[in-house]
Amino acid sequence: MACTRAFTRLTMKRIAVRPAVFTRGLASVNDTHARDPISKVAEKIVPDAARAPIPESKTSTIKEPEPTKDAKTKTFHIYRWNPDEPSSKPKMQSYTLDMNKTGPMMLDALIRIKNEVDPTLTFRRSCREGICGSCAMNIDGVNTLACLCRIPTDTTKESRIYPLPHMYVVKDLVPDMTLFYKQYRSVKPYLQRTTAAPDGREYRQSKEDRKKLDGLYECILCACCSTSCPSYWWNQEEYLGPAVLLQSYRWIADSRDERKAERQDALNNSMSLYRCHTILNCSRTCPKGLNPALAIAEIKKSMAFT
Amino acid sequence: MASIMRPGLLRQACTKPAASPRMLSTITTTSTINRPLAQQLRPAFQRSVMPKSTRIAAFHATQRNQLLPPLPQKILGTVNDPAPVPNPDYAHGSYHWSFERIVSAGLIPLTIAPFAAGSLNPLTDSILCALLVVHSHIGFESCIIDYFPKARVPLVRTISMWALRIGTLTLGVALYSFETNDVGITEAVARLWHA
Repeated sequence: MACTRAFTRLTMKRIAVRPAVFTRGLASVNDTHARDPISKVAEKIVPDAARAPIPESKTSTIKEPEPTKDAKTKTFHIYRWNPDEPSSKPKMQSYTLDMNKTGPMMLDALIRIKNEVDPTLTFRRSCREGICGSCAMNIDGVNTLACLCRIPTDTTKESRIYPLPHMYVVKDLVPDMTLFYKQYRSVKPYLQRTTAAPDGREYRQSKEDRKKLDGLYECILCACCSTSCPSYWWNQEEYLGPAVLLQSYRWIADSRDERKAERQDALNNSMSLYRCHTILNCSRTCPKGLNPALAIAEIKKSMAFT
Repeated sequence: MASIMRPGLLRQACTKPAASPRMLSTITTTSTINRPLAQQLRPAFQRSVMPKSTRIAAFHATQRNQLLPPLPQKILGTVNDPAPVPNPDYAHGSYHWSFERIVSAGLIPLTIAPFAAGSLNPLTDSILCALLVVHSHIGFESCIIDYFPKARVPLVRTISMWALRIGTLTLGVALYSFETNDVGITEAVARLWHA
């Protein structure tokens, strides 16, 4: 045993003529390079010139964009707030875009900013044609869908984009719609009936009854109208808001529904419906051209003196 | 370099003469010494270093104290539960609304009739007074319900409601004494009109 230890110590000792490759193999406290792989040892012997990193400026084909001569630059001020920095205040960030290279709608501008300028900009969008209602935001002081809002061609005027007013902000232009959807759920937006259809197949409706639903069923629940309503701003927790009331009326007006009285009773208190003071911001702002104020007035009329 | 290190010098040199409209709207203290260093540094730094396209402006130009700052968000139940539906309350719901409309609509002919007819009837005068009291009470009550939510400011709500009731009662008594002891409001308006 003692013999082995002595032999080991002999191999550990560095002899001048012995190359570094042959010294490896045994763990050692003194020699930190003892367990290095052979390749690393080899690197130490011959530094490879080919392995030197090439700077990105020589490899990349992407150049910094140069503004063209007849560029129509327009400035967008966008509301920014990051939940990762909860102590920092919301701020407005300015972006300039060349309108010649941007699509005609606000959503095109936002997507271009996100793609090319600032990938941290956050907003909801999906269908880009006013069907999904995701991209509802406050553009130049009006609640509207970014995909249906044209960018004003006047480049001297700067556009300001905010999230929907009086909503809790998740990030940047993304509002929290939890309460809105919970309220929508509370009006039971589905057909309720107990009697079966006479022919056992479909619930039929006359053309006149069907016509009553026009202007109601088109609502995409973008919440533009609700968030433009001052009454909804002050009493969000109790007042249902124009969008949800319009949906409620869509089922009250439906001739196939059999729970009209229950639906009306659910609204028959001082807060749910009667906080509407016919301000009519809802009808003015609706990006789909619907009339929530009329629907609310119809509910009130149907419930009057009952 | 000196300007970056001592932005106070630069800012005073640059922005002193310009009396922009913003200066009028905000509380501007001319001494930059009192403000914290970070506030002094930031604008100068941003102007000089950051590119124009990504410049960031402070969101609020003024220091303001909100009357009712928003509370932290509170969601009742899970996201899949519907919002609670209150029990039907006809007295504060549809009956109240119908009554309100009748009173409002009734006030129009009662206001016009005495002047159009040219004759003064104490009965219509008293009805007009009563409806005015009720109408103003309903209107102010609506304002209180709108602006002092019960869940948020219960004490202010209660106090203002009682203040409104006392005010309405006082108005009622005052109008009654004016009708019985004096000329009545229609005559008073007519006299003021011709005065």
